[in-house]
Amino acid sequence: MARVEDLAKPAVPAGAGAGDRERGRALNAAARFATRAFSLVVLLIAWELIARSGKVTPFMLPPLSAVIERIYADAASGMLWTNLGVTLARAMAGFFIATVGGIALGAAMSRLRPVRWFFDPLISIGFPMPKIAFLPIIMLWLGVYDVSKISMVVFDAIFPVLTATLAGLAAVDKELIWSARNMGAREHELIWQVALPAALPQIFTGLQVALPIALIVEIVVEMALGGYGLGAAMMSASRFADSRGVFAGIVEIAIVGYALIKAMAAIRRRLLLWHHEAQAPA
Amino acid sequence: MNDQAQIVVEGVTHTYRPPRGRPVPALAEVSLEVRRREFFALLGPSGCGKSTLLYLIGGFFATEAGRILVDGEPVAAPGADRGIVFQHFALFPWKTVRANVRYGLERLKIPRAEREARAQAMIDLVGLRGFEDSYPSQLSGGMKQRTAIARTLAFDPSILLMDEPFGALDAQTRALMQTELLGIWQRTPKTVIFVTHDVQEAVYLADRVAVMSARPGRIKTIVETRFGNRDPSLLRSPAFVEKVEEIWNLVRIEAIKAQGTEAP
Amino acid sequence: MTRVVVRYLPILILALAWEAASRLGLFSSLTLPALGDVAASWLELIRDGDLVSNGLTSMYRGTAGLVLAVVIGGGLGVAMASSRVVNALLAAPIEVFYPLPKSALIPVTVLWLGFGDGSKILLIFLGCMIPVTIGAYNGARGSDQVLLWSARSMGASRLRTLWDVVVPSALPEMLNGIRTALALSFILLVSSELIAAQQGFGYLIGYLGDNGSYPGMFAVVLTVAFLGFAADRLFQLLTGWLLRWRE
Repeated sequence: MARVEDLAKPAVPAGAGAGDRERGRALNAAARFATRAFSLVVLLIAWELIARSGKVTPFMLPPLSAVIERIYADAASGMLWTNLGVTLARAMAGFFIATVGGIALGAAMSRLRPVRWFFDPLISIGFPMPKIAFLPIIMLWLGVYDVSKISMVVFDAIFPVLTATLAGLAAVDKELIWSARNMGAREHELIWQVALPAALPQIFTGLQVALPIALIVEIVVEMALGGYGLGAAMMSASRFADSRGVFAGIVEIAIVGYALIKAMAAIRRRLLLWHHEAQAPA
Repeated sequence: MNDQAQIVVEGVTHTYRPPRGRPVPALAEVSLEVRRREFFALLGPSGCGKSTLLYLIGGFFATEAGRILVDGEPVAAPGADRGIVFQHFALFPWKTVRANVRYGLERLKIPRAEREARAQAMIDLVGLRGFEDSYPSQLSGGMKQRTAIARTLAFDPSILLMDEPFGALDAQTRALMQTELLGIWQRTPKTVIFVTHDVQEAVYLADRVAVMSARPGRIKTIVETRFGNRDPSLLRSPAFVEKVEEIWNLVRIEAIKAQGTEAP
Repeated sequence: MTRVVVRYLPILILALAWEAASRLGLFSSLTLPALGDVAASWLELIRDGDLVSNGLTSMYRGTAGLVLAVVIGGGLGVAMASSRVVNALLAAPIEVFYPLPKSALIPVTVLWLGFGDGSKILLIFLGCMIPVTIGAYNGARGSDQVLLWSARSMGASRLRTLWDVVVPSALPEMLNGIRTALALSFILLVSSELIAAQQGFGYLIGYLGDNGSYPGMFAVVLTVAFLGFAADRLFQLLTGWLLRWRE
């Protein structure tokens, strides 16, 4: 989010030279990062000050310093890594299955009419449903261990991948397909070598939506089912009125969530170097 | 100061400061006077600051140096005495034609019955009867601009500021709108300041044309362009053509300069 | 009309397949109760009042949280777009909380407010505020300068233009943000009720499951799923009407 534009300034064509613009852009990116980092620091300081001010109890808002101590202790004891590993493993497993399944089903739907007809209403109805409501049913069918947790993640994460794949494939330039056909490409070659690469930007956007969903669902499922994991640990802390543990969990999950988003963005840049969006100004 | 001068611009200088990048001088020591009920054109190449000058007169931002007086008072803020019409119509897309035209009257707290009557009269004046309940997205470019004009005329400002109002219309619609505007102006005389980059349009519509230089804008010269009658046949008359030629020669050098300083 | 039927036919087929599979004994009646039994349980739950009373509790929590999120979030978003000061104050918390999985707030709201309505309403309010604020902010920022100037030249004060121009301009994007918030509110509501509640849809589902009343459990799950779907569809209709002026 950029600074608020001064609403009184009219739009006028730029008079500055091209070199100035380049320099301006780089400076701007640096400035934005600095402001974000700065605002985060301000927020953290505010947290510490409010917690120590005596206006709220240490139960309601434990000081940042205490929470950091706790995270450090968990890291040292190994608890943090165990929980983190378990949560990430299940979330990523679900995410990958959703990715493969979503793209495969999306490709099938875009090529085969009957498949499309069958699944279309299911997607249309399924999208806005709170799919987490199906957790008890999944528990009934698949138990309370990893399988059911990962299945729930897949159930939720597959939707954005599917819709993005469908949209991406639908938008592929017909001329690309016709040229490839003209040069003798067969059905499966068309899909792998032409359609999917062309749809990749949009599909990847779907993946970028699906990953945070996978994390959220995994955490909720852990809270409901218990066991290991960041979500389970947080909920258990809540039950024991361990507010430092709860806040430590929030910080840890926030960091994980942020890291995942950044990682996806970096992968996107690398993967889509050939795409014209890489050429467009930042 | 001329008694008849309604608008006085004295030594106005303005710099455009973009949110990022270097400040750019927009206007340099601009001075002019516009007489009451005159049709006055501001003509110049792109980027010469003519729109900026119009917005300063409109009070949408403050002058850095120099001053602008309307009816003897310095301009401090936008007001209902200076109605403005924009190139891209600036209609409220979520309001119908009627609701758009009514807006200024609502702000002036005019009683309901009178509001409805005046709005309807304006809609009829610009030839949009029957479209009162249409949304702007349902109208053609020419119809949108007529709505915008009706909206501004509805609250009867004594000054009309027009920023290339026909620039977004196709050539045929533009020609028709020019004649219509003249007709409206002759019936409800107002002071008009009309910004354009089209020489022929300026000479056809205006009593006087101010030619501006390339950025930073200055008033290069002001030319009288009052003709006896203003029906479309005027466009072919030798006197008219000569005048257009004369002014085009003044503008051409500035247009070339403007091309040179344009960013790639 | 036939178009709609053909489109949703697969659902009917699945329903028939479900009924057939249970009648044929393909699945134990525990794992997959017959569709007929589920329907019967649903009626029973309505008659007993369980479904309705828990449903009203859930609806109350969800609506309260969402309304707070929309009004306060929308107001903040517009304020941020209109005032440098507000923007500077709020941009940091929003950027920090945007990537946080909102369900991570469940334990802390339970910690503060326990198992009752309060924790759910707070959770939904906090979680749903962010998409609404961002939508309102982006929408308000996109206000056309010339629309603002036109309004001012017609006598509108700066404050007036906020209401007359900025808010309607922001509406499309804000409605988008609200749509996201609507779906999110259902998710947060059901999640928190499954995990830590003594009333509500989620609680009812858990209770029926623990008691082995699977037909009833299925019935409530399907009810909730349907409500989420219906809410989204209704909202789309509302949006269509509100934005009927668009091309």
